[in-house]
Amino acid sequence: MKRRGFLKKAATATTGAFLAPYILPSGRLFAATGAQLAEHVVMVMFAGGVRNQESVEQTYLDQSQGIPVQGNIMYNMLDGAPPTQKIVYGTDGNLAGDTPIPQILGSTIQQQGTLFREVRSSHAGHYGGMNAMLQGNTLYSQGLRQKPINPTIFEYTRRHLGAPASKVWFVGNGIGNSTPLMNYSSHENYGADYGANFLAPDITFGSQGIEHLSNAKIYHPEEELDPIYQMKYFLDNNFENVGGAIETIHNTEAEKQSIKLFMREMYNLGGNIARPPVADNGDLNTIGYAVEVMKWFKPNLMVLNLGAVDACHANYTDYLSALHRADHAVGHLWNQINQIPEMANNTIMLITPECGRNLESNPIRDENDWRAFDHSDSNTQRVFTQMVGPNVPSNLVRGSVGNQIGETVDNCPTIAEILGFKDDVMNNGLISSTAQSLFDRI
Amino acid sequence: MKKTLSILLIGALAISFSGCEKDKLYEVNEETLLAPNANKTKLKSDQQYIAILYANLFQTALSSDNLFEASQCVQSIGDKDLVHEVLISNYMNQSGVILPTNDDMRADVDGFITETYNRFLVRNPTEAERQYFKNYINTHPNVRPELVYFSFALSDEYQYY
Repeated sequence: MKRRGFLKKAATATTGAFLAPYILPSGRLFAATGAQLAEHVVMVMFAGGVRNQESVEQTYLDQSQGIPVQGNIMYNMLDGAPPTQKIVYGTDGNLAGDTPIPQILGSTIQQQGTLFREVRSSHAGHYGGMNAMLQGNTLYSQGLRQKPINPTIFEYTRRHLGAPASKVWFVGNGIGNSTPLMNYSSHENYGADYGANFLAPDITFGSQGIEHLSNAKIYHPEEELDPIYQMKYFLDNNFENVGGAIETIHNTEAEKQSIKLFMREMYNLGGNIARPPVADNGDLNTIGYAVEVMKWFKPNLMVLNLGAVDACHANYTDYLSALHRADHAVGHLWNQINQIPEMANNTIMLITPECGRNLESNPIRDENDWRAFDHSDSNTQRVFTQMVGPNVPSNLVRGSVGNQIGETVDNCPTIAEILGFKDDVMNNGLISSTAQSLFDRI
Repeated sequence: MKKTLSILLIGALAISFSGCEKDKLYEVNEETLLAPNANKTKLKSDQQYIAILYANLFQTALSSDNLFEASQCVQSIGDKDLVHEVLISNYMNQSGVILPTNDDMRADVDGFITETYNRFLVRNPTEAERQYFKNYINTHPNVRPELVYFSFALSDEYQYY
């Protein structure tokens, strides 16, 4: 009897030893392969298609409308004096947009970090461009309205860093353009199990969310929620036995509870959140809620996308206005990150447009008789990247017109290097052969 | 003599023909026996889930405007389990949810279980399922119909049809 008992215990222990790597609640299977440069990364997919002419080249109206007025309308991110004439991008004063938004940062992101002036974007579209940044790959077979084909940086982070779901966030500027699909891929070795928490604050905390989500009944965790979950798990087990299962990103019950409390807090705040000083478009609202997510969860990785700049398809004045606000948003974001004790001096921020815009305009003219720009020609391949934070060289500029250094796909291995699992990403054969960590391009 | 031979021949033929008649063999078609929930293979869309959920809880249809907005809310949150839970919590906080009373449930637990399976999962419970819920309800005095409905609405099977 004792022998049988011993064998049983030994078998259990052995089985446990084999199973243990697969049942760790963190989901971590492998040790991170390198030292971390920072514990937190924030990546901004900047703003919906930005021409280098109006961003790093600071040509304002000169190379778009043939009006010889130049200047920097992104003075939180870039060094350079703003335009002195034909100011249309600010808030309304005597005239529409004639009052530029005051600078937030004492020194620019360019001064604090590294600027890659000419980076290659491989996609002319938003979804393809964002997917390239998240996957580290330019998969031309990637369809719209289709989950990313290869693993995203969210999945790499959760699997190779061992980060729980509530430490990996994707804050989107809405639910259009397949944005909600990007929080995890359909790749068989990664997928939903390692997905990010997605949030589109404009909806969740907008009028729709207030109507349908804000009045949630509070259930007692032990007296009421426990029985609900127990009965649900019984039903789920029965269903799983016949092959049925739902994809889930595996927030634990405690994480779910924390997210629900966060949502309740946001509804209670009634919109009085950490928005930027000027918050008159959707991007600025998104940034405000992204800051609240960071304050609450202190994520290892947060990706957020801004999109208002895409107004440029039909209105160049609105494009300038949105670009100025996107810079204001990034300034506010960096400022707020450095006011969160757990993230201050321990966060690297990356900023890259998912694609550029055309060299030639389309026929649409706005109220100032200025021409609009789509994104489809070779000029869309010209974008920039900025990095700022600990271990990032300050006041460094790499690349120039005609000398592209870096690609948008570099964002993925760069984040992997910052968080300490670069080799896992570089050696898995799933990212573009030309993708490199930007630290290797400095 | 001829007559005798003829009789013998007829008799022999009759015996030989009767020997050819085969016994009747009755067979059954091969069938794979599946669990009653095994034929649900299609995932409901967000709108289908919400429309059916609302109809199950309120016994009336959700307006198209509300359905559209609610489905936008579901899309705006990445953890579907979580957002379903929040949505159900909101519905449970509204007046008009048609629920049996706790007394009704406890007076006829069997009937309640069958009705709940029929309402949410569109099938009868198996004996094992019936037994589980019967035991669970009888041994958990704090469990009321609202919590049982909540668990069914949150179940994976409910998300399929």
